Amino acid sequence: MPQTELLETALEEARAAGYIGRNVLGSGFDVDVLLHRGAGAYICGEETALLTSLEGYRGEPRLKPPFPAVKGLYGKPTVVNNVETLATLPHIVRNGPDWFAAMGTPTGKGTRVWCMSGHVNRPGNYELEMGTPIRELIYEHGGGIWKGRSLKAFQPGGASMMVLLPEHLDVGLDFDAIAKAGSMAGAGAMMVMDETTCIVDVARRLVKFFEHESCGKCTPCREGTYWMANLFDRIEFGEGKPGDPDLLLDMGYNIDGRSFCPLGDASTWFPRSVIKYFRDEFEQHIVEKACPFRGEREAVA
Amino acid sequence: MAVVTDQVTLTVDGQSVTVAKGTLILDAAKKLGIEIPIFCSHPKMEPVAVCRMCLVEVEKMPKLQPACAVYVMDGMVVRTRTEQVQRYQNGVLEFLLANHPLDCPICDKGGECPLQDQTYTYGPGASRYDFPKKHFDKAVPLSDKILLDRERCVLCWRCTRFSAEISGERELALIQRGKDTIIGTFNDQPARSEYQGNWTEICPVGALTSRQYRFISRPWDLDRTATICPGCSMGCNVHADARHNRLGRFQARENLAVDDGWLCDFGRYSFPSFQREGIERPRVRRDGRLEEVSYEEAMAAAAQSLRRAGPATAGWASPAATNEELFLFQRLLREVLATPHLDHGRGRGEAATALEPDDAALPIADLERCDHVLLLGGQAVIDAAPVLHLRLFKSERKGVRVHRVDDARAALEAVPAEAQAVGIVSSLGRKPEVDSLQGKLARKVKGSVRRLLVPDGPNGRGATDLGFGPGRGPGYASLDGKAGRARPDWEAAGVRALYLFEASPLHDFQASGEEREWIQRLETVVLQRPRPSPLDDLAHVILPGRAFVEKAGTVTNMEGRVQRIRPAIDAAVVRDDWKILQGVAQALGADWRYRDPDEVFADLSRAVPAYRADRIGERALWSERA
Amino acid sequence: MPLRDVALGPYYLLKAMATTFKHNVRPVVTIEYPERQKPVPPRARGRHILHRYADGLEKCVGCELCAIACPVGCIVVEAAENTPELRVSPGERYAKRYEINLLRCIYCGLCEEACPYDAITMGPRYDLADDHPDKFIAVKEDLLEPLPASLADTAVPSAAPSAQKIPRKW
Ligand code: SF4
Ligand code: SF4
Ligand code: SF4
Ligand code: SF4
Ligand code: FES
Repeated sequence: MPQTELLETALEEARAAGYIGRNVLGSGFDVDVLLHRGAGAYICGEETALLTSLEGYRGEPRLKPPFPAVKGLYGKPTVVNNVETLATLPHIVRNGPDWFAAMGTPTGKGTRVWCMSGHVNRPGNYELEMGTPIRELIYEHGGGIWKGRSLKAFQPGGASMMVLLPEHLDVGLDFDAIAKAGSMAGAGAMMVMDETTCIVDVARRLVKFFEHESCGKCTPCREGTYWMANLFDRIEFGEGKPGDPDLLLDMGYNIDGRSFCPLGDASTWFPRSVIKYFRDEFEQHIVEKACPFRGEREAVA
Repeated sequence: MAVVTDQVTLTVDGQSVTVAKGTLILDAAKKLGIEIPIFCSHPKMEPVAVCRMCLVEVEKMPKLQPACAVYVMDGMVVRTRTEQVQRYQNGVLEFLLANHPLDCPICDKGGECPLQDQTYTYGPGASRYDFPKKHFDKAVPLSDKILLDRERCVLCWRCTRFSAEISGERELALIQRGKDTIIGTFNDQPARSEYQGNWTEICPVGALTSRQYRFISRPWDLDRTATICPGCSMGCNVHADARHNRLGRFQARENLAVDDGWLCDFGRYSFPSFQREGIERPRVRRDGRLEEVSYEEAMAAAAQSLRRAGPATAGWASPAATNEELFLFQRLLREVLATPHLDHGRGRGEAATALEPDDAALPIADLERCDHVLLLGGQAVIDAAPVLHLRLFKSERKGVRVHRVDDARAALEAVPAEAQAVGIVSSLGRKPEVDSLQGKLARKVKGSVRRLLVPDGPNGRGATDLGFGPGRGPGYASLDGKAGRARPDWEAAGVRALYLFEASPLHDFQASGEEREWIQRLETVVLQRPRPSPLDDLAHVILPGRAFVEKAGTVTNMEGRVQRIRPAIDAAVVRDDWKILQGVAQALGADWRYRDPDEVFADLSRAVPAYRADRIGERALWSERA
Repeated sequence: MPLRDVALGPYYLLKAMATTFKHNVRPVVTIEYPERQKPVPPRARGRHILHRYADGLEKCVGCELCAIACPVGCIVVEAAENTPELRVSPGERYAKRYEINLLRCIYCGLCEEACPYDAITMGPRYDLADDHPDKFIAVKEDLLEPLPASLADTAVPSAAPSAQKIPRKW
């Protein structure tokens, strides 16, 4: 893995330079950095699940309180930081907090890295000042929608976040603004979908992802994601029943806010928002007993 | 000035309640008589909040909160039956049942299943889940005692938590993840725990079931009797459940002072040894052959031969006999036959050793309040009373240091001088060693040093207390030089007749080969026992009596707690053991007129004032002796 | 005696005889019970029947729900586990003992209603006379539907016959 090698090398260099290890720069202070590779479970992004997994157990979240800062890894107080936080730090240290705070909007200061994927001409990671309009990210930095098609919808914050529509393009890339628009900035993973995308299929794939990544600890998430995945499968493949969208909404009610950790809650956000904006597409699937986009997509491809 | 208290007041469903800080919402509601449905929560285990059944509304908190894991706060306003909560309860039960096989008709839990009950009370009438159910393995043998049905499991973690937090063996774990999660043992090895039966009791569905009880009965068909486990001197409280007058199972009957709500597998699954297979009639040996006779004839025959031997008779009683029986038997031997040779030790080398009341004995529950506990003899002591391990492990989790040591020297070193409360746990056989250790420790440490000695048999303590040994009379009364000889010396003492009272197949005489030869040469062997015994072919008179589960009386556990046993099986045609003893005494000319075991107990109390009829269920109070 | 009555006398005589003779040619309603029996309506609730699947396995799983539903408590069921050697019903569990006290039964049909497997139904038999109360304890062999004709001579394993089998007239 090049990334781990890269990090290992960096750690070696730091150790050699005396920045980490015993007696850092002669200060009498000992600190070391250990690199631990996870196995890729999504749930281990939840801080307590991360700690459980580090301890060698099945990765699953723990009851809070106690919070990790009180009782974390091996029962000791633990600070859990995101890579995003760590990546921002050097620049702030180098340029000073004022430099950082001068950027962005009053409610969201500084910059953020947006990881754009999907139907744009130039997918990739873009560090932008907070508050930059989404339109700029997609159309200037991302080079616009591929193959000359038009934008159907996008997901601003990662696999779990609610869908936004072209009418939201002028919303700024900023936590508050996106929240006001009805979604969340979340992890900053922007997913762009063109007009030929079957939104039901997108939701189906995302729900199946959550079904696969559910740790199985709590009932609503374990059983609910499995059930939702079954429902989406049948709608997408033309066997949906007229009540299915409402059943999905009701299951969302029973999962969201009831699960042990946010994974279960989050699994319902995208599907529910999609039912809100694209209910007619669901009905079309159910009435026509097939996915209206399949033929079209195959024809285009 | 605000008074600082450790009490908080909250409102649950409009009623206000004051509870101690650190109470869970669930328990605060329970105090008001408000039931919140639960699956994963268990009063003896740490909250995990995984089943999400208990969610309730708490004012100022945006999400529903798990009542089993959220601690109360002052001024909290909790609502347990709002529309939101009820709609969600329907939802979570629908989730739990979505992939549940619903094979209640063939499930051993059916009829006492929390999942059934809560579905009826809080669940939806019908399910909207119309996909094929997930399938897992059914009836997986986890060991020779337990079957696991992975389809029925609701993944409440109770069994895994028992394994981690209660027995400390960590044998069960969750395997796989998400919708594929299952319960299992490491590499599917058979489970080896001695406490597996408890898993079946805590499992809120029919996922973990006992192989012994498989398809035996529906819970509503069982006749339930509150009695004591016949397994050992721990004296765990059990429900003996019988159907059609046959034992179906033993279940724990929580007594926080004794068993803390758990049983061991040895005791729980010992019931088949007490199953009655037909009715036996007394037999007397005539011309070398055993012939069936009436009880009267058999008792007369026994009396006749015993009279001939008189003081050359020795009496052995099982440490599973009740206090009433032991008292009568010792009267029969000492008063009627005038013999001093009494014993209850099993195996040849084990004479009964305790010669004084164990006054300051450490109560079982106080093990949790010691700061150091010495387990002198290690696993052997645990094997003699397995539930003791659960208490010790609980104590360890509370911070008690438990030292497993084999000799007194190591024990003495293990405890630091500043110890506040030291407990010594060992077997009664090691009493002399424990005595001296206790003395030495008392000089070494600042705090108190108490001991808990584990006798053999469910009434081994009672047998010593009631003087069923050669050295002391009832209540440790001195015998004024008329002490008898212990079992190993009977041959040398010229014993010619033997009256054996076996009382339990688990605690029988266990004659060595050498001893059998000696018994064979005896003039008279009277054998009173509940079930066919290996000594049957040596006996001259066989008096069938009742098993532990067929009679009433009291037994005394290791800490001196006198507890009642009650008949779970009706064996009316078989004579009660105390009546047989009385009959033999009457045939020998004694004028005994007891009408029931309670009258025997009343008489026993006069001889041993520490045993009081109004204190049954409590520990005998020796220090109050007048 | 008026003449009119004399004339009417033979008329009445013939009329009476006609009535008598008419019954000689009417269809017979009496049947030779018990040699011959009347058919019963399809939903009549007579003596119970325990059913089998087409492959000869018993439907009853020994769940005892009929026994608990029965308002007079006249059903006794004891269950046992199917083994590869002795497979009586398709699943894990079968009824080792199944008895109905037909003297207590009030033929209410609640057992039938309770059964989750449609294993027990009320059958058409109602001629339950016999000469000793013991003979009214219907055991499993009495209640079980005969094996389907196609399987009649193949050895479909069944539970060991009950010990107290008494010859019965019905
Ligand atoms: S566990 Fe309970 S609900 Fe499930 S099959 Fe057994 S009795 Fe029925
Ligand atoms: S086997 Fe029973 S106790 Fe264990 S997790 Fe499953 S339902 Fe809970
Ligand atoms: S018909 Fe009624 S009374 Fe007779 S066995 Fe069935 S439930 Fe019981
Ligand atoms: S007849 Fe039906 S209700 Fe009765 S035990 Fe058999 S399966 Fe259960
Ligand atoms: S009982 Fe509270 S979450 Fe299971």
